[in-house]
Amino acid sequence: MVATCPRAGWLEIHPENFLANPHAAELLVELSANYPISVHTVGISVGSAGSIDRWHLKRIRGLADRIKPIFVSGHLAWSTYRNEYLNDLLPLPYTEETLRLVAAHIDEVQNTLGRPYLIENPASYVTFQFSTMNEADFLAEIVLRTGCQLLCDVSNVVVSAHNMGFDPHQYIDDFPSHAIAEMHLGGFTPEEDEATPGSEVWIDTHAAAIDRRSWDLYAYTLQRFGAKPTLIEWDNGLPSLPALLREAAYAEEIARAIPMETGHASAH
Amino acid sequence: MPALTEIQFRFRNAVIDGDSGPVAPVLVGGRNPQKRLAIHRRNYETGLVDALLLKFPATRWLIGTPLVIEAARQFIRRHPPQAPCIAEYGAAFPDFLSKCAGAERLPYLRDFAELEWLAGQVAIAIDAMPVDPEEFSKADLKTLPDVRLTLQSGLRYLNASWPVENLLKLYLAETAPDQLELVPARVWIEVRGARGEFQLNRLDVASFTFRKCVSEGCTLGEAAERALDADADFDPGQALAALIANRFVTAVRQTAEDKFHDRL
Repeated sequence: MVATCPRAGWLEIHPENFLANPHAAELLVELSANYPISVHTVGISVGSAGSIDRWHLKRIRGLADRIKPIFVSGHLAWSTYRNEYLNDLLPLPYTEETLRLVAAHIDEVQNTLGRPYLIENPASYVTFQFSTMNEADFLAEIVLRTGCQLLCDVSNVVVSAHNMGFDPHQYIDDFPSHAIAEMHLGGFTPEEDEATPGSEVWIDTHAAAIDRRSWDLYAYTLQRFGAKPTLIEWDNGLPSLPALLREAAYAEEIARAIPMETGHASAH
Repeated sequence: MPALTEIQFRFRNAVIDGDSGPVAPVLVGGRNPQKRLAIHRRNYETGLVDALLLKFPATRWLIGTPLVIEAARQFIRRHPPQAPCIAEYGAAFPDFLSKCAGAERLPYLRDFAELEWLAGQVAIAIDAMPVDPEEFSKADLKTLPDVRLTLQSGLRYLNASWPVENLLKLYLAETAPDQLELVPARVWIEVRGARGEFQLNRLDVASFTFRKCVSEGCTLGEAAERALDADADFDPGQALAALIANRFVTAVRQTAEDKFHDRL
């Protein structure tokens, strides 16, 4: 990317891949001169019952100061238990206790970063029996309490709806659209569901082309909410760059048919 | 309804230890949600095992991928990452690997894997601007023993019991002979790298001691004293000149508390 500068609207990176790798960070700074960069964190863990890792947060702030990202985002999930990093995005029960905790952590993130933080809806394989609100209502309340923005991952909605048995269009209808600043589309991988023999569970792998059902829900989402900057997530089993850019171009094509608020699709 | 901290403790045990029984009763997902926890457990394991395999390709070449995978699986259960930057994860793996079943036949394995880890670390470093040699010529010789130096971040020092750098060079050159007799011999290796590349340099014991001590924050006086303990013929002036000539020195501090700006 640094050498050839292919045409792409903007790029998104995981800061955790750069914070401990000065050589990669140096290349990223070069890249940021040619492309707007979005920073998508996987390690802040706003859903951890304990405190968030302030050292990690400060390192992200340092990287953001160097590359001046267009967005900084993360997940409605947790990944750290005490001082152990669990290397996955783990689910949260949607309760008042969780709401207070996540809101406090997002406040801390936004105060440290000095900018709005975008929260992404998760891809779910399990949820909690004792949740007292649905995910869209939980996100709406988080936005209300913190002023954060949202990253609507349309493919995560498709995956979660299949795995947990809800209507993806209803989820989009309920989503707090006024707070959406960015969208994601990513490939998923179906596999045998050991929890329900004879059925499939869909895994959010980012290792495949975007499924038709995700494209369809994306078009539906844009019709409801208008076009938003959209990213193709394909970071496992990488295709050729032209194949990746074709996916981004298709997202642009769908968005062009919709009244534009911002811009265009891109890839990471 | 269990508190969030209790739920996350149970979830952690399911992900890392495979003990999914206690958290399963509060979950929803398919007819048997406990089975779905295997997805999160797999995400944890696959991501970290793959990361370790990527960091130790030469070790895989040496002992075979299946042994490294099995050791990595055990390692991630006993030593979960302490931070989200996986590039920093794995420093303790060479020692762990050397204690796994089957490793006792390879007494050089720990040194070899440690060397590979260090090479990986220096290869992601970047060089800082070295201190101008002219500045050293103005130094007050009386205070020089109290000076501490900051060296390039892409420098590491390994005192090994086997000549493992030769073995690593064979891997890098893809010229492994059918048979190789490795004889135990203490070697002092400097690993130097930046921006995707690295070199392995064997040093004499005194130069190694001096450079390692300097890199760890000792004063020049302390480093020279230890080097002289290792070899009474050691020449501290020459050793310092070599550090400067190699452009290894990036900052000079008069005391331990100085933070790099107290240049000579």
